[in-house]
Amino acid sequence: MSRERLIERLEALAPGAWELYSKHGVSREIRHAPRETAETSRTEEGFAARWWDPAPRFAAAGDTAALAEAVERARETPAPGGSCPVWPTGAAAVPQTSSMAADESPPELHDELARLVAAESRGEATLTELTVRRGRTVERVVNAAGLDVGWGASALTGFASAVGRRGTRACEARMSFRWDGAPELATLARRLSDRATLPLSDRSAAVDRGDWLLEPSVGAALLAGLAPLFCRETTARWPARGGLLAPEVTIVDDAGPDAPFDGEGTRTRRVVVFEKGGLSLPLRDLDAARRDRAFSTGNGVRRSYRTPPRLGARRLFFETGRPAPPRELLAAVRRGLFASALTAPWRCDLENDRYEAEFTGIAVIAGRAQGPVAAARSRGRLSELLRRITALAPSGETFPSPEPVLGATLLAERVPFD
Amino acid sequence: MPLDPSAVARFLEPLARESGEIADVFVERRQEIRLEWRDGAVGQTRRTATEGLAVRWRRGGSERICAVSRADEAGLREASRQLQAALGRGIVPIRSAAPPAGDEWRPLSGERWRKRLEATLSRHAPRHELRWTLADVDREIYPARAPAAVSARRLTSLEGTFIAPSRRGDETRRFSFHGPESETLADELREALVRAAEPRDAAVPCPEGDADVLLAAGCAAVLFHEILVHPLEGGAVSPLSGLSEARVAVPELEVRDDAARLDLFGGYECDDEGIRPRPVKLLDAGRIAGRLTSRDAAAPAGRDASNGHGRRAEPGDSPLPRGANVVVAPGSASAEEMVRRLEQGLWIDALDGGSVELASGSFRLRFPRARRVRRGRLSDELGPGMLAGEILPVLKRIETGLGREVRAYRPLGWCARGGQILPVQGEAPDVLVRGLAVRGLA
Repeated sequence: MSRERLIERLEALAPGAWELYSKHGVSREIRHAPRETAETSRTEEGFAARWWDPAPRFAAAGDTAALAEAVERARETPAPGGSCPVWPTGAAAVPQTSSMAADESPPELHDELARLVAAESRGEATLTELTVRRGRTVERVVNAAGLDVGWGASALTGFASAVGRRGTRACEARMSFRWDGAPELATLARRLSDRATLPLSDRSAAVDRGDWLLEPSVGAALLAGLAPLFCRETTARWPARGGLLAPEVTIVDDAGPDAPFDGEGTRTRRVVVFEKGGLSLPLRDLDAARRDRAFSTGNGVRRSYRTPPRLGARRLFFETGRPAPPRELLAAVRRGLFASALTAPWRCDLENDRYEAEFTGIAVIAGRAQGPVAAARSRGRLSELLRRITALAPSGETFPSPEPVLGATLLAERVPFD
Repeated sequence: MPLDPSAVARFLEPLARESGEIADVFVERRQEIRLEWRDGAVGQTRRTATEGLAVRWRRGGSERICAVSRADEAGLREASRQLQAALGRGIVPIRSAAPPAGDEWRPLSGERWRKRLEATLSRHAPRHELRWTLADVDREIYPARAPAAVSARRLTSLEGTFIAPSRRGDETRRFSFHGPESETLADELREALVRAAEPRDAAVPCPEGDADVLLAAGCAAVLFHEILVHPLEGGAVSPLSGLSEARVAVPELEVRDDAARLDLFGGYECDDEGIRPRPVKLLDAGRIAGRLTSRDAAAPAGRDASNGHGRRAEPGDSPLPRGANVVVAPGSASAEEMVRRLEQGLWIDALDGGSVELASGSFRLRFPRARRVRRGRLSDELGPGMLAGEILPVLKRIETGLGREVRAYRPLGWCARGGQILPVQGEAPDVLVRGLAVRGLA
C-alpha cells in the first residue's frame, strides 16, 4: 500500500484526527571487547500511525503495507472514546534519505582511549570494552491538519567499560557517552579511571555534613532525575513552595541543536522550566496541551517508531547569570566531598521529596584534595538539596539519560553524608 | 513467510568458505498488542508488526553484522550485499526489491485476554494503571552448512500499579507478571493479583545492618540469576572464573539454567544461532559445574560445544551467551519450617530488581517490602530496601535445608546486559541466606 493510500485510509477511519510518522535510520557501530572486534551496520525503516476513532489508537510497522494491516487490527479492540489533540500545522522540506558512506564509519578510538585510561589511573584501570556508534536519521510527520515536516539528525554515541584492580580487589566502571562535536577522550578516560579506581580505596566519608561538589556527570544525573518535575503531569506539591535554587539559576529545556521539531511535528522551542527558585512553564506535548487548553511546548518525545510519543524533557540544562569556573568552585569547598562518579543510579522520589545518591570521590578540605573516598552516600530532602546549591558551572557536555542532559559542576553547602 | 533455505545458502556460501568461519542469517517477525488499562477501561490500544533480518559473519575475534528492517528475500539480498562488500567477497548483484507482501502475519488477537482481564481487574484491583502486552515472536535462523531452525513464542506481561486497601488506608502497589501464553496462565495471573492485593499492615522503615534473610515465594530465582547466571555466562570474568568444579556452596544446592523450559518466560526452542538449548548445571552438589555458551564462546570446540545460549535482543545485535531460566532444585523443608529456622531476620517474598558487578563480585537486590521474623514467627511489615553482598561469601552462607515447594517467579521477566534486553525467568524454593547486608530505602 502506498503512503498516499494509507493517508486516505486514515482520513476515512478518523476524519481530521490522525497522524502518520515515519523514520529512516542508518547506523554503523564498532565494538571492541577483549579479543574481539565487531562491526555492525543497521538500516531501519519504520512507520507509525495515531488516530482517534474516537478511541485513541496506535499502530506501527516496518513498511506501509504492514502498517495498513496493523491499523485494521488495532481497530478490533473496543475502547471508550478520547479527545483528539489540536494538531500543529506547517511544512518543512524533508531531507533525502540515503545510506551511509564508508567514510562515515565511527572513528577508531579504542587504542587511544585504552592508553589514556591506563595513564590516568597509573596502570590500575584497563579499558575492557568500547562501543562507538555513528547514526543518522530522517524523520517525517504528517497529520490531518496538513502538517508535513521532516528533519534529519545525526549523533556519535556509545559506551565504555573499564576495570580497576588493586591487589585482589577489582571494580568495574561503565559509562555511556554522546559527543556533539569532536570525541572528548581525555574526559571520558578520567571518568572511567575515577569510577574504576576510587572505590578501591579503603577510606569512607570522614565528614557527616559538609560541602558537596558534583562533577558534571553527577550534576547531569541529578537534573535527569528532576526531569519529570518539569512536565505538566507532575503531582509533586513541594516545588510550589519556591525558593529552591539561587534566583540567578534557571533550568532550560531546548532541543533546538538536536532537532527543529519534536516527535509530533511541533516546532522545538526554548522553554525555561525553572526560574527564580521555582517551577516556571510546564513542558507539554499535544495531549497535555489539549488538557490545559494551551499550546504544546514541543515535548512529544519519540524514542522509537514502535512507541507513541510521550511527554518528556528533550534537552535539559542549567543556566546561571553568574557562572563560576570549576576551579573556583573547588576552592570554595571548606570541608566536604567531591562526587566524582555515581556508584548506583541517583534515586529521586519526586512525590515524597526525597533523594539518595551513592558516589565515589575525593575528600576536600580548604579547596585541596585530601584523598580518595571509596563510597559515600547523601540522602535527604530534594528541596533541601536544591536550596543548598549555591554555585554552578555549566560544562556544555551532553549526557544521554536517555534524552540528552547537559552537565554542570554544582556546589551545594552543608549537605548530609553517610 | 520463511525464506527459501536454498536461496539463503547461496548468499551464505561465499561468507563461510574457510574453516573457522561462522555465517548465519537471522530473521525475526514480531507482532505486539498492548492495551493500557486504567480503572477497568482500555485507554490507548497499540498494535505493532515489525520485522528484521541480519546477516552475520564471524571468524576468531572478528565479527560483522548487517541488519535491515525487512525480512524477505530483498532484505536478505540487501544485507548480504552490504556484508560481502565490507568483507571484499563476491558481491551479490543488485535487483530491484520486490514490494513487501504485507499479508504474511500470523493472526494475533487479544480479545480473549481483554475479556478475562476486564473481569479479573474489576474484581480484584478495580483501581489501576496497568499495561498488558501480548507479543508474538517468530524467529528463523539459517546457519551456513547446517539446517535452518525456527522458533515461535507468545509472551504475555502485565505491569503497572494498582490501589490496594491496607490497614492504614489505600496504598499504591506495583505489580509485574510475565509468562508464556498458555491455558492456565490467566488463572495464575488472577491468583498473583489476589495475593498482591491482600490487605497489609502499615510498613515501618526497614532496619540497616546485617541480617539473615529468607527468600520465599520463588524470589530466590533473582538472587541466583545475579550471582550464578551472569558470572557463568561464557566470556564473563568474575570471581567464579577459574573455579570449575570447586565447591562454593552447600552440597544440597543444585542450580541449572534451563532454556528448554517453555513454561517459563525465558524459554525457547532453539537459540539465536540455531542451536537447541540444553539444560546447563551451574551448581551441582554445591560445585561449579558448567558455563553458558554460544557458538563463539564455545570456540574452538565449535558448533557442537555450544549449549544453546547464544541470544540476541534484536536482529542487529551480536549473539551473546546469556541465561534464560534459572531453576533451583527443591529441598525438603516446609515453608513454616523455613521460617522457624530463620528464627530472627527478614522474610522477603518479592524482589523487584537486581544487579551484579562481575569484576568485584558485588551484587544488589531491591525489595519492595519485607516481613520481620521474630522467634520464628512473621511479625512487622517492613518498607522497601536493598540487599547487598558478594558472590562467593553469600554462596557459602546459603543454609543447608531448602524449601520443598518450588515456585516460578513471574515478576522476573527481563534482563539487560550490554544494552540487550532479553526475556528471562526462573523458579526456586525458599532459600535461607545468613548475614546479608540490608539497607532501607526511603
